[in-house]
Amino acid sequence: MIYLSSVLLLIGLLVAAASFLYTLYSLFWNAVKIPEKKIRMKISLPRRIYILIRNVVLQGKLFKDPSGGIMHALMFWGFVAFAGYSATFFVRGIDPSYELISPGIFKDIIFLTVDIFAIVVIVDVIYAVSRRWILKIPRYQGYNGFEAAFILLLISVLMVTYYVLGVLRMDGASAGIPGAIMEGIPPAFTPVTGFFASLFPAASGSGAVDLYWVLYSIHAIDFLTFLVYIPTSKHLHLVAAPLNVLLSKDTKPAQLTPIDFENQKRFGASDIRDFSWKDYLDFYSCTECGRCTFNCPAFLTGKTLSPRDIIWDLREVVIAQGSRARHSGIEEKDKILTPVIGDPISEEDLWSCTTCMACVEQCPVMIDHVEKIVDMRRSLVLNQGKAPKETIETYTNMENYGSPWVNDPSTRGDWAKDLGINVLSETQNDDFDILYWVGCVASYDRRNQDIAKSIVSILKKANVKFAILGSEEKCTGDPAKRTGNEYLAQNLATANIETLNRHRVHRVITGCPHCFNSLKNDYRAMGLEMEVIHHTEFINQLVSLGKLDLKSLESDEKEKFTYHDSCYLGRYNKIYEEPRTIIKAVTDNYEEMEMNKSKALCCGAGGGRLWMNETVGTKISHKRMEMADKINATTVVTACPYCMVMLDDARRVMGKEEKMHITDIAEFVASRLN
Amino acid sequence: MPYNIIVLIKVIPDLEQIKPNPTTGEIVTERTPLRLETLSENAIEAAVQLKEKYGGKVFGLIFGKPESAPMLKKAFAMGVDDGIVLTGYKGNNPVYTAEVLCGKIKGMQYDLIISGNQSADTYTGLLPGIISGKLGINLLGNALTIALEDRKIRVKSTLEKKIQNLSATLPAIVSVTQETNQPRLPPVMQIMAAGRKQIVTEAAQPQTMPGTVQISNRAPRSERKRQLYEKPEEGIAAVARAIKEEIR
Ligand code: SF4
Ligand code: SF4
Repeated sequence: MIYLSSVLLLIGLLVAAASFLYTLYSLFWNAVKIPEKKIRMKISLPRRIYILIRNVVLQGKLFKDPSGGIMHALMFWGFVAFAGYSATFFVRGIDPSYELISPGIFKDIIFLTVDIFAIVVIVDVIYAVSRRWILKIPRYQGYNGFEAAFILLLISVLMVTYYVLGVLRMDGASAGIPGAIMEGIPPAFTPVTGFFASLFPAASGSGAVDLYWVLYSIHAIDFLTFLVYIPTSKHLHLVAAPLNVLLSKDTKPAQLTPIDFENQKRFGASDIRDFSWKDYLDFYSCTECGRCTFNCPAFLTGKTLSPRDIIWDLREVVIAQGSRARHSGIEEKDKILTPVIGDPISEEDLWSCTTCMACVEQCPVMIDHVEKIVDMRRSLVLNQGKAPKETIETYTNMENYGSPWVNDPSTRGDWAKDLGINVLSETQNDDFDILYWVGCVASYDRRNQDIAKSIVSILKKANVKFAILGSEEKCTGDPAKRTGNEYLAQNLATANIETLNRHRVHRVITGCPHCFNSLKNDYRAMGLEMEVIHHTEFINQLVSLGKLDLKSLESDEKEKFTYHDSCYLGRYNKIYEEPRTIIKAVTDNYEEMEMNKSKALCCGAGGGRLWMNETVGTKISHKRMEMADKINATTVVTACPYCMVMLDDARRVMGKEEKMHITDIAEFVASRLN
Repeated sequence: MPYNIIVLIKVIPDLEQIKPNPTTGEIVTERTPLRLETLSENAIEAAVQLKEKYGGKVFGLIFGKPESAPMLKKAFAMGVDDGIVLTGYKGNNPVYTAEVLCGKIKGMQYDLIISGNQSADTYTGLLPGIISGKLGINLLGNALTIALEDRKIRVKSTLEKKIQNLSATLPAIVSVTQETNQPRLPPVMQIMAAGRKQIVTEAAQPQTMPGTVQISNRAPRSERKRQLYEKPEEGIAAVARAIKEEIR
């Protein structure tokens, strides 16, 4: 027998599903057809499945913001449970004789879960509404409020109608209605519905049946509206985000895709064709939650950069231009695809980024903002020769002197002159076990030379047979690479790799996280295989092996130490514990600043910012020093020459010279050697 | 209307990397890396900007050594269309340099010559003036802005404390300063295209150097004692003692 309700439900479902699928098809086909940037990905399936389970099923990354995270996780799990209910709702509604899940304890448990989660979702919606419109949590403000309200309304109507339908069923109003759902589920398995039923007098008669149909229709229409709305709104993330997490780029963050200058025609990202399919998936996955922006050091100190807006703006351009571009020929395409830099994304915002990765670390759906920002910088630098004036000067210096400053390269090893160490540019004596890569800052900056000397004294104390390159060492290219000058970065890397190979270097220790990351990750991508160790790791090893014996100083009693995480050591290379272990081996007077480890606030120097003026808003380094001041730290320990330059300067400008010291972990250790 | 612009490009030893011979004090430049004189970069930028605005061609002229060739490539990358390296540069002698350059320029079609107002290795600042005299064309010095209209050139020229508006008919020679512009960073496509370009070199004429001859070029003697005083009190006293001894 064919029922009118079944026919209507079927038509509704077909229309909604067609709209849903067509919009998705259009979006995803754009992601296949338009992007020209090629990326390399490792398959590593077990790892991907692990990440999927951790970050989608268990909602792992969301808990970095615990209150928002719990809210979302409950909503997500409630939805998954509800999906089982909805499937049954439609299947039974269309063909009342068909049982999607055969009756039994399994079905009962599913419905028990639904019954409990529906109320959790309702409470969650109330909480979400209060966060957004009553508590006015800053990161939600000003972003698609209407869309959020509409979605929350759809969700709550879906849940409320679920309960009312359940109560009516308990009252017997749905008895004999074909396709009525949940018939035969024991009342014990729908306790919440049972509770609501007990609050109201039983409905009966034709009025109850009419009410049942009205609510049934509202429930169905609500669900179908949701289905149509998903792909056109930020709720596209329901579909895109799990995929994005599963396909997230490798497992190491921000390894920028190298440019093949011989074969590529377009450099960097000028318009939407210059991104990769994975970038498109990133755009589609963004939920506009704002976690990225509200952890961005630039944004937090009053710059206009907002990583959320970068992603969302690019997404809007893709949606506005994508389908038209996909259907047009090359010439027409050139007209449709307008540059994304200038409008909507300002050059100033691109240059404000410190490439600190706080945004990437926080993003629950594993979006990579940094590579996109660097790609747009590449477009400016490589195609138009545009960069801040100071940055252009550093390029000239790197080209002429192999360092970002004007320094005679033949004096690079001068700081080590009287230390009696093997300087390869002078000795050409390749009899060493490990190369100490000094880096530009420690080679030329007076304050940082002290750190280099401390590293030398530690290596000597532990009887390590080491050498430095002296004038044969050049900048690794990090400041060029992160500001988009991939051409210069590759030239410098090629020269350094040639030098390292010539001296048959297999192990390197460095005191600079930027050199560390370049040598370890960027150079590896160019084919150089060697073991690269940061001095924090090396010192920690030496201490734990008993090759270094540390004592505490008398003055340690009166101190309060804290550690400032370098982004390129922490978020880029996940080294958080080693420096802390070293400090705590000597003293208990240690306290964490707010924003530490993976949430650490950048010092403001990365991404080439060390060589740019910071004129808008508060200086990032000042904000960091305020955090140190808040816990009354007397010594801030760092493990990065960039951080040292920035924080030491902030300390002086802020008049905290007397009150607070900045010391590198190497100096901390060297002054406490037994 | 399009203009033919000649830009005079000077290649100098990198001053940051020059060292005197420790015994004789003579400046050793043989193995010092070469670089484009900063003001030549401003001159190139000015020429390329004019080309972009009015149309025409920019020709780069280097009087240097065969090793100067890569610097012409850099000029190409910045937007110079064509050029030549005249070899046989024997050292600082503006009269001779002007003679060589003018000899070459006389055989060329040009509307405008642009050069830096001096160069960081010698600081004579004489070349634009001598060339203007030898070619019999107007010199508009220290230009901050340059505008062309038919056969006329207008320049805002900076003197120490004031700015002058100058105009002249073409052909003319203009010298620029570091304030004139911000030399561009060449786009990679152009760097690579420039890398593939052939560089033409030609022996400079005349080959003998008239005029002044450099007899010696020595750095003043300076010895660093490399003494480091950690405590300011001790350091200050030591410096004071050293100065007193020097005066005595
Ligand atoms: S990398 Fe850091 S500075 Fe750049 S957008 Fe992300 S959070 Fe902001
Ligand atoms: S990029 Fe990620 S963190 Fe930022 S708003 Fe989008 S989903 Fe949230």
